[in-house]
Amino acid sequence: MRRAALGVVAMLACASACADAPVFPAHPLDDPAAVKAAFAARIGKPVHVLRFGFGEHYADALVQNDAAPDEFDRYEAVPGQPMKDGEPQKAGGIDCKKKVAFADLDLAAGARVLKQVRAIAAANSYKTPENVELSADIFCNDFGWRGILISEANSDAMLEITFKPDGSSPSAREMRNDGWVKVDMKKLAAGSAPPPAAAPKNEPAPTRGDGRERDFTQGIEADLARVEAKVGAPLAFKHISVDKTQLSVDVISPANKKKISTYIVEDDGSIKLWREDDAIPFDCNKPFAAGDIPLAQLPAMIAGAPALIPPLAQGWVKNVHIYRSGLCGAPHVYIEIEDDRGFGNVEYDGRGKLISAEVQ
Amino acid sequence: MSLVRLLFSVGLVFSFAANAADAPASTDYAWPNLTDFIKQLIAKVGAPIKVYRLTMDREGKVDLWIQDQKRRDLVDSYEYEHGTMSEAIPVKFEHYPSIDAVDQHVIELTTIDFQRLPGMLATAKSKLGLPDARVFRIELERGDSHGFLTYSDIPIWTVQIDTPRHDGRVEFSLDGKVLNADKD
Repeated sequence: MRRAALGVVAMLACASACADAPVFPAHPLDDPAAVKAAFAARIGKPVHVLRFGFGEHYADALVQNDAAPDEFDRYEAVPGQPMKDGEPQKAGGIDCKKKVAFADLDLAAGARVLKQVRAIAAANSYKTPENVELSADIFCNDFGWRGILISEANSDAMLEITFKPDGSSPSAREMRNDGWVKVDMKKLAAGSAPPPAAAPKNEPAPTRGDGRERDFTQGIEADLARVEAKVGAPLAFKHISVDKTQLSVDVISPANKKKISTYIVEDDGSIKLWREDDAIPFDCNKPFAAGDIPLAQLPAMIAGAPALIPPLAQGWVKNVHIYRSGLCGAPHVYIEIEDDRGFGNVEYDGRGKLISAEVQ
Repeated sequence: MSLVRLLFSVGLVFSFAANAADAPASTDYAWPNLTDFIKQLIAKVGAPIKVYRLTMDREGKVDLWIQDQKRRDLVDSYEYEHGTMSEAIPVKFEHYPSIDAVDQHVIELTTIDFQRLPGMLATAKSKLGLPDARVFRIELERGDSHGFLTYSDIPIWTVQIDTPRHDGRVEFSLDGKVLNADKD
């Protein structure tokens, strides 16, 4: 009942506002001229187009008023529905002002481009794209029609096909780990450029929790031993992070010294390999061992840390980090304290000697 | 602070409320009742009030940071909304300032002329060419904060306004002189 009443209110509201609104074509891809006429009627003034999204279910345009160049509006259209008035856009939010005069907007080219992009998607096992867009790229270059293809089988794969505003000169590029790589349009047309296969996931299965609830500030030795058993080699630490509910260890991979693996131990004892990253060149990648750090003293260091900073004596330990100090020096223990007012830091060296304790 | 100065301070904000209620420029913003807020605050913490930062949002909610005069290294926040003042909320700094830094940063309440605010808002709108703009945020803080260089370390009123098409901000000195204006 309430929904029906709301519907009536909406219809009445629209009846006045939408009375003279142009109705967007029911099949926009079949009649680009009618699409352009509907937008022209709704906009009602000379504009330039900065972006135009075009598909059979939806279209939208970002336009700049020719008479007032700092006025930008966004118009949306749904097939068969009256077009609403434009939504004003913040001028400061428009980063790229590459554009085309509305009179030169070639929506027939847009419809053709969408057809071509969909054919390429089908031929090369990409998902069918919903639409194409006339715009510049994120660096404000190459204003034209562009279609983005993504893969069902590999969520990392992305192919971008761009055309000039008149639909000519297609080119394609594919996102790879180290940036964009050009793709031959002839291969795409022939259906011989499928998305790259997803990288095989050979990460170890997570270790289930043992049912015992942990507070890692009370000690981490036993759990480091469990991580070591999972890794199957002595742990070559780069960084250890501890808080009450989580232990995180960055270790240099035993199989590949240029890889850093991060293992997470949750407070129920479960262990998982969270991520693997390439070691950063010029970063300190010299590992340290469990014997290089005062593990047995760690719980007492943590418990006593707030009292070492009198203004934060009632504070609590936020986090503990263990890593090599300065420019790849000896491993130190850094205890972060906080209270309602601020933060503090306590630092110990690898032999458990207090180095500093101060308010941040 | 002497009793005379305290009364002068309260008188100023009282007169601000009266003027703000009468001034046409104030009809486009729900100016908070600063008179009532300051009265409640003085009743709670006593004088002097030393302002670390004052902000008013679009809805007229006020957040006032003041130096704790019993522990001058501490700053507390008091919020005021719909006639109700909050209890003290401890302000947590990423890098806690020294007593000297807080002493340097704070602004004596008696030096703040709240009556100027409606005029500053009108000036901001006209300076930016945004007559229909709404208040986004009004802030007062000394310009030495956060380590960024500004005109000087003087207290700066920042009036941020917006329209559906533009964002703008105008900075004023305590005496209402325009220091800077910019618009997106």
